This record gives sequence, C-alpha cells and structure tokens, in this order.
Amino acid sequence: MLDTATSEDDTNLLVTIVDTNPLAWQQSATAKIPLSLDDAIRQILIFFNAHMALKHDNKVAAIASHIGHCKFLYPVTDAETHRRQANQYKISKDANAYPNFKDVNDDIIESLRSLMLDTDTPQKNLNDGTSMISGALSMALCYINRIMNQDDLGRIKPRILVLSVSPDSPYQYISIMNAVFSAQKMSIPIDVCKVYGGEVAFLQQASHITGGVYLDVENPQALLQYLLFSFLPERYARNYLCLPNKEQVDFRAACFCHKRIIDIGYVCSVCLSIFCSWSPVCSTCRTKFAFRALPPLAGKGRPAISRTASPAPSAAASPGSSSPMSTT
Amino acid sequence: MSVINFKTNIYDYLETLPIFTFQRLFQKPATCLAIFRLLPAIGRQIVMSILYVENPISLKDIQSWVYKDGHKKLQEALHKLSKLHILEETPEKGLIVNSTFRLEFKNALSGGGEHQSFGLPCATVDKHKVDIAFLDHFASTQWEAILHYMVGTTMTKRPSRGVLNLLQKSDLMNSTASESGLHITNKGFQFLLQDVNTQVWAFLLQYLDMAEMLKMDLVEVLNFLFQLGSLELGQDYSVETLTETQQQMLEDLGDYGIVYRRKKGSRRFYPTRLATTLTSGTSALVTSLSKKETGTAASSAMIAAAEESHDEGGFLILETNYRVYAYTESPLQIAVLNLFIQLKSRFPNMVSGVITRESVRNAFLNGITADQIISYLQTHAHPQMRKRAPLLPLTVVDQIRLWEMERNRVEDKAAYLYKDFNVQADFDAAEKYAKDLDVLLWSNSKQRKMVIAQEAHETLRTYIKRRLAGNRDTG
Repeated sequence: MLDTATSEDDTNLLVTIVDTNPLAWQQSATAKIPLSLDDAIRQILIFFNAHMALKHDNKVAAIASHIGHCKFLYPVTDAETHRRQANQYKISKDANAYPNFKDVNDDIIESLRSLMLDTDTPQKNLNDGTSMISGALSMALCYINRIMNQDDLGRIKPRILVLSVSPDSPYQYISIMNAVFSAQKMSIPIDVCKVYGGEVAFLQQASHITGGVYLDVENPQALLQYLLFSFLPERYARNYLCLPNKEQVDFRAACFCHKRIIDIGYVCSVCLSIFCSWSPVCSTCRTKFAFRALPPLAGKGRPAISRTASPAPSAAASPGSSSPMSTT
Repeated sequence: MSVINFKTNIYDYLETLPIFTFQRLFQKPATCLAIFRLLPAIGRQIVMSILYVENPISLKDIQSWVYKDGHKKLQEALHKLSKLHILEETPEKGLIVNSTFRLEFKNALSGGGEHQSFGLPCATVDKHKVDIAFLDHFASTQWEAILHYMVGTTMTKRPSRGVLNLLQKSDLMNSTASESGLHITNKGFQFLLQDVNTQVWAFLLQYLDMAEMLKMDLVEVLNFLFQLGSLELGQDYSVETLTETQQQMLEDLGDYGIVYRRKKGSRRFYPTRLATTLTSGTSALVTSLSKKETGTAASSAMIAAAEESHDEGGFLILETNYRVYAYTESPLQIAVLNLFIQLKSRFPNMVSGVITRESVRNAFLNGITADQIISYLQTHAHPQMRKRAPLLPLTVVDQIRLWEMERNRVEDKAAYLYKDFNVQADFDAAEKYAKDLDVLLWSNSKQRKMVIAQEAHETLRTYIKRRLAGNRDTG
C-alpha cells in the first residue's frame, strides 16, 4: 500500500477515461433526455478547466475508450504535437482564454476529431460493439505509474474518472478486474460516472473496491453540474465532503468459459477461476478435478441457476476438486 | 511554506479592500481565477459546486455536504468567501455567488467573453526575439541587483531611483543622517531570508500602497499583476490591450526584473519567470539562479521546466554537528548565509561554515527570528537532504530555538497591581475570577496582592466593585 496521507498542497492528477463508443452515443443522443457526444465533450472540457483552475499545478490526462481500441487524447506524443504545429493548427492565440486551458482543450478536440475521422481501425476485434474500458484502464494506470515514478517528493495524488456510456462487456471481465486490483494496490480511487445506459456491474465493483465515487446520471443534460459537484473534489477535500457512492453494489462476476455474467457458478479451488458449467479440467491452471459420480444436470444445461444441481464433492476444499461459489 | 506565506500576505491585503473595488476586480476573469486560487480547498470546491446553480442555497444545505469533522474547515472557508465578497447572503438567508464573479469566472473556465484579460500575444514576429534563458538571466540580474544593494556588496550597478524609493518606503532600508546612502534595517534582514516569490510579493504589495499615493487606479494595478501570473513564459505580449496606468507600470516592473522590454516605448513585452510564477507560489527563480552558478546555464526551456518540477533549487547541507556546506558561489547567497553562519572556508563551488551561538545571536540582534533561519535552511535544503525525514537534524533546530529563548528570559507586560483587600474572601473571589479569565499574571494570597494584565483591568474593577457593593447591601 502506498502512503495515502493527503495535504492541501498536493498536486492532483486526474486521468479521465471518456467512453467514445459511437453506437452508445448515438442511442444517448436520441434518448428521452438526449445528450450527444458533442454536448458532453463541451461540458467535460469545462470540467477539465475547473480541475486545472483549482490549483496551478493540477494536471489532467484524457484517454478515449473507443470500440476495439483506445487512445490518448491528452497529453499527445511529441511527434503528434510537431505534426500539428506543422499543419499550422494552433496559431490562434487568444487574449480571452487562459493559455493553459486553451492548449489542453485544443489538443483534446483535435485528438477527438482525428479519432472520429479514423475509420480504418481493424473492425474485426469488435467483440460485441462495446468500448475498450479494460485497455483504457491499463493505459491510465501505466501513465500514472510513470508520472509517479518521476515525482520524487510523492506530492502527486492521482485518481481515475471513467465516463461510461456502454454496457458491460463480459469479455473484458478478467482484464478489468486485474486493472482494478492494481489500482487498489496503488491506492488510486476510480470514480465512475454512468452518463447513459443501464447498470454496469464491473465498474460498480471498481469504484467500490478502490473507494471511488459512483454516480448514475439521471439528467444527462446537466452533466457538468454532476461532474463539478461529485467528481471535482480533490483527494484532500474528500476527507471532509460527503460524496455519493453506491449502496448496493452488483458483485456478480463473469465466467471464464463463456463470458456470461452469473450469480452462482463453479470456482476452481486452486486458481479461483470462475466457470458457469462443470468441467473436468480447469481451463486456466490445468488442474484435474477429482472425478466423482455426478448427479445428472437435469438436462437443463445451466447448473448455475439452481443450487440443487450443485455437484460439489463433499471433500470440499482439497485441491483438485471444484466447489460451487456464490458471488452475490 | 512559501505558498502559505505568500497567500496570507496578498490575501490580507485583499481583505482590506472595500466591496466596490471587488466588484470592479471581478470584471476581469484573470483576476477571478487568481483570487479563486487563494481560497482554501473546501472553499474552492464550494464555489465550483454552486457556480452553475442560479438559486440561492441555504447554509444548512451546504453544511450537509460536509462530514462532522470538516465543519470547522467549512466555517473557515465560508468566512473567507464572504470576506472576499465571492459569496453573498440573500435576504432569505440563502447563499449565492456574486453575480459578476459568477459571470466572469464562467468566462474564465469556458474561454468566452471579450475581456482580453489574459494578455494579447503579439501577432507579428519580434525581430529581436529573446529566449527563456535570456529572460531568466535578465530577471535574476535585475532582482539580484536589488538584493546585492541591500546586503551592501558593491559589485553590481545601483538600482534605479524607483527601486531605492520603494526600499525606503517599505522600511527595508533607511538613510541615517550621519552617513550618505541607505542602510539595511531589521526588516530588511528578515526580507533577505525569505524566498524569491515572497520577496517579490512583499515588494509588489508595497508598490500597491505607493500606487494609491500616486493616484494610480488600484484596480488596474491589481488586474495587471494577476494577469501577469497567467501569462506564458517566452511569449511576447502586445501592450495594446493595456490601459495607460498599466503601461506606466511596465516601466517599474522592468526595473524589478518582472517584465522585459527591449527599450522604453517598445510595443511588446515579455513576462519573466518572476511574473509567471506570481500566482502559483513556486519559487522558480532560485532554480535558475543556482543552476547558472553551477555553470550549467539553462540553455533550453525543456531542461529548465523539467528541473523546476524536480529539485527545488536547494544547495545547503546541514549536519548534526552544526556544520553547513553550501554549494554556491553566488556572493549574494554567501552574504545571506553570513547573516547567521560563521563561514570557515571557501572553495570554487562551495562554502562551508558552522552554526555557532555567536553567529546565531548576531542574527537575532539583526532582528532575524529562529523560525526564519529554520525555514531558510528548509527551503534551500539540498535534494540529498530532502530524502531524510525530518529534513533538518532535530538537535540543530532545537538548539537554534533554545538560543532564541535565551534572549527572552524577561518578558514585560503592561499590568495593574491590586492590593489592600480588606476581606480574604473578596481577594479569593477576585483571584478566582481573574484566573477564569486567564488574565492573572501573579498573585500572593497571604499579602492579598495580585497583578492583572492591563486589558482586563476594566472588567475586573467592575467585578470587584459589584462584589463589594453587594457585600455592603447584604452586610
């Protein structure tokens, strides 16, 4: 565990993961209370400015979690900066805007534009059309790790904010959870703002485990107010402020074999992998489970549904047996 | 430490301003942003939370946002917010953000409006373009010239008349009738031990006082100072958007090394590092100073920026045996160290010395306090020292404080002596009352004498009178 003591002089690093999944945003733009990606970005940029306004040395980073891949929106690589300067973009200096804010905003808008124009990305890895939250989380953690290694005095206090619009992708369950546990180990809170779409079990768990804020936005038009009120407080101020979090966290897990989200399943007693159906060999650690005569699965095919179908051997915890687990 | 120093100073100054000055200050988003950053963390969060809320919010609601142990901090924050006139109370007991502040601060966040308060960069390319290294050099020579003059080293040119005037006005130096020229005062010695940022602010606050006397518009002066804090280093700015007062200020600020202009009447100016760090509270100049001294002149902006965030420009190593090693060759820093260290030997890139009772007492005689010495040692500690906790050897810190306490063995206080109580009970009651008020300085029950601090004299006298009168009535 890292030192978690905070002080008023800390520098705050806010790494924001913006879910840019165009399919979900399309749905959001046509919902009952509509919010298009454009409007959202406008409000998010003001939120970034507010974060940088809080303190002179506060930093932001933004990562787009797109379909199938993710990309840094800010900061951009040096090569990219040079390319943009060469293209004569960013000549407009403006006395009406604070230069720090303007640079960040311009960079993010330009990055988003190139992200949206870029349609050549391989389309085959789309899974089920959900965004790459797990990849974005890993990138965020790597970036934070790099920044913190450069900071000898330990004055930088990082946190992650996920603005999510897509539903859960069970295919990413394992990588998301690995990222979440790394974040917990580095004591980085993960805040989750669910802008559109139903419940997301994995992100709820993420914010619960890391001690972050979780909020379902009821009126997406007022996104900025939600952001300023609940997600702006820095780590130091959080010691004193009551912030929203989820009382009832959805603790369900996804099985490793068919990527289904399940309530009850089988857990390998050696490596704790989760399976929705019984198999003789753990697919993760290759442990062979002791064969016992099993009661027939009642022909339903989904033993996860009822406990009566549970075939657990009575010699429960000894290695080489698989035991049922309740994840609720 | 520097941050806190600077904040209280400028904050204290702002607090004294009347409300209509604030109304005019708030018209510039750059000023709103700078004032906003002076607030405590909770205060900043509250402003952000209700910035986009149009209706007044009741105090009770705001209190419910904070946990119990944060209530003291909240009170403090709300107090500051109302002192700076950012939060206003409506007749219905609700709190609302000042409408001008709300509008312009929103403009600052969204980059809207037509206020031109963040400085207009020059559209044309400067034929005599200067780089950041040059600006750093310019800033440090100008600023050091002032400090050199104060410590009395005769190697730099005399500062301009405006500077001398300011030094005298601010009581940092004064002229004695017998000798010609100015002499450093106790306050001046204390000034030398502070970090550059605090020094610059102290100077500028003094400048503000003078501006009032010179009939300059205070709001324009303040706006310009806050604007300087938001400018980018190495960028040239046009004087077009500045008012007449502000153009006049450019000249003075050039003398202090805060802005650079190639010649008087030039249409453009460059802010130096002294200017761009004004509102951030980081003392960046020290870095550039010490770096140049070690011979690795800052050639590129990248290195300067990188080192600025890493080492804090420390050059002092203090050992538990009271020895001090200072990696510097700047005559200025050596002169400052000489204020409280007995220097023993000097090498091409370092001096060493020892802290002794005599050397520290000399400093005390000059009006320097133990806390100032300790904080100087702390802020200039070598990066190697920064890895230890506590930063400075405790024995040395304690000893410096003990040496200071030696000088304060006798304390004088204005007081009143009470004697000739007729009845012991009266005396006991009065003594107890004084004790409860925490104003009893000394008492002797047998002789029925006690000494009371001056400020409580009135209260105690009425109390005793009332008691005596009561006795007479019942008796």
